[in-house]
Amino acid sequence: MRPAKLNGLLFLLSLLIVWELVTEARWVNPLVVPPLSRILRIFWELVISGQIPWQIAVSMKRAALGYLLAAAVFIPLGIIMGLSQSVHRALEVVIEMLRPVPPPVVIPVALLFFGIEDEMKIFVIFFSCAWPMLLNTIDGVRGLDWVLLNTAKTFRLSRAKTMWQVVLPAASPQIVTGLRVSLPIMLILVVISEMVGSTDGIGYFILDSQRRFKVAQMYAGMLALAILGYTLNQTFNLLYRSLLSWHWGMMRRVE
Amino acid sequence: MEERNKFNWAGWLSFGFLLLLWELGSRSVPKLQLFIPPVSQVSTALAQLTVAGPIAEHFTITVSRFAAGYFLSAALGVSLGIILGYFRSLHSLVEILIEVLRPMPSVAIIPVAVLMLGIGDSMIVAVTVYATVWPILINTLDGVRHIEEMLIQTGRTFGLSQRKILWQVILPAASPYIGTGLRIGLSIALILVTTAEMVAGSKGLGFFILDEERSMNSSNMYAGILVVAVLGYIINRLFLLLEAKIMKWHHGMMTRQTA
Repeated sequence: MRPAKLNGLLFLLSLLIVWELVTEARWVNPLVVPPLSRILRIFWELVISGQIPWQIAVSMKRAALGYLLAAAVFIPLGIIMGLSQSVHRALEVVIEMLRPVPPPVVIPVALLFFGIEDEMKIFVIFFSCAWPMLLNTIDGVRGLDWVLLNTAKTFRLSRAKTMWQVVLPAASPQIVTGLRVSLPIMLILVVISEMVGSTDGIGYFILDSQRRFKVAQMYAGMLALAILGYTLNQTFNLLYRSLLSWHWGMMRRVE
Repeated sequence: MEERNKFNWAGWLSFGFLLLLWELGSRSVPKLQLFIPPVSQVSTALAQLTVAGPIAEHFTITVSRFAAGYFLSAALGVSLGIILGYFRSLHSLVEILIEVLRPMPSVAIIPVAVLMLGIGDSMIVAVTVYATVWPILINTLDGVRHIEEMLIQTGRTFGLSQRKILWQVILPAASPYIGTGLRIGLSIALILVTTAEMVAGSKGLGFFILDEERSMNSSNMYAGILVVAVLGYIINRLFLLLEAKIMKWHHGMMTRQTA
């Protein structure tokens, strides 16, 4: 291990120890910041009892549905808008009008339509992941080398083949960027929408624990959320690398 | 390029067509009106709310919370970023701490903030600062670390004081990164203010929109959303204008350096 990294770990560890000592000594109100050991114990109990895994599963189901739905709609739309100047111009104004709406503000609209059902959260995530996915895909397709497209035409590749073998591979780094940028947005929006209107899910769990003054449980929920965020990010990075190595290999072959 | 400057007839036509479809669709299907009231009704509601005052009040509250949160984050994020970027050893000390804190979605801090600060302005500003500081800090840090060591060494060779190196070397050279961080922070701050107002607020546009939904006044709800969208748009535009001005100076500076 690098000595710098070791220093960082030691620093973090000493902060945690200070936290534990200060709270055990009751220098801060335990109703606001409980001792670390208590949080960890409750976290462990909640994991064993299945409470936390279940809340996370509920949230992730909603998040995944909204995210995948957004990808299924906005990546193809982005490809079409990237290829066709006229479609792009026709939709540009509508998109520019919708884009400045901060995603959480859409929650009341979704509540109006769907109540506090799963569809409400799915719609909110769908809406908020739309922009990074759409705009990145458009950029990726527009950055396409026209020689590639013309070559495909010369070889009389069918439209479908051109799409799958030329456009998609060449635009994939940008498309994947859009997918990656959407990931934390997805997580944030599932938490917010569960805080505003839900009866389960990790966002609801954290807010509900606070309202019942089960403070250690609230921190345990936040810890679970942090671990979830970290895991999601790492998993995607792994996928990203393998996807991109395929892409670079492909590009080399093209050259 | 030429095409970009032309007025986008097709775009505005399709936008107008959508509004017309909305108006006519809503008028012809009364069942829908609870969910999607006609555009005309929404605009009347907006006009009434503006004249009668509630919108202006919520708007002012939201804007002042946003401004307080954003400017605090900018000051904190840029200065911390420069310090951490400049003093490598300090950075290596807190690097892991940052990595541990970052993956948690920032909105999860709202319940903690409510516990510590209640449900007033200070809670909302604190939550906004917590979330907005990250992109500004990380981008500033990146910017400072990407400065060529030679620039700073040259500054030292010419006997510039620490303060002059900061203002005349580090800040200008890192400014494109800082600008990116500040721009990302803009939308995050607006998201956090409206979210906090929805989750635990009694005033502000976020609260207003959710409250109108709960009392089934969908026209007022849409009017509120429109106001937030316009606010977001204006904030973004203002920033881009300012950035273009500052960056013009930056490019001038950079070319002078290479020339």
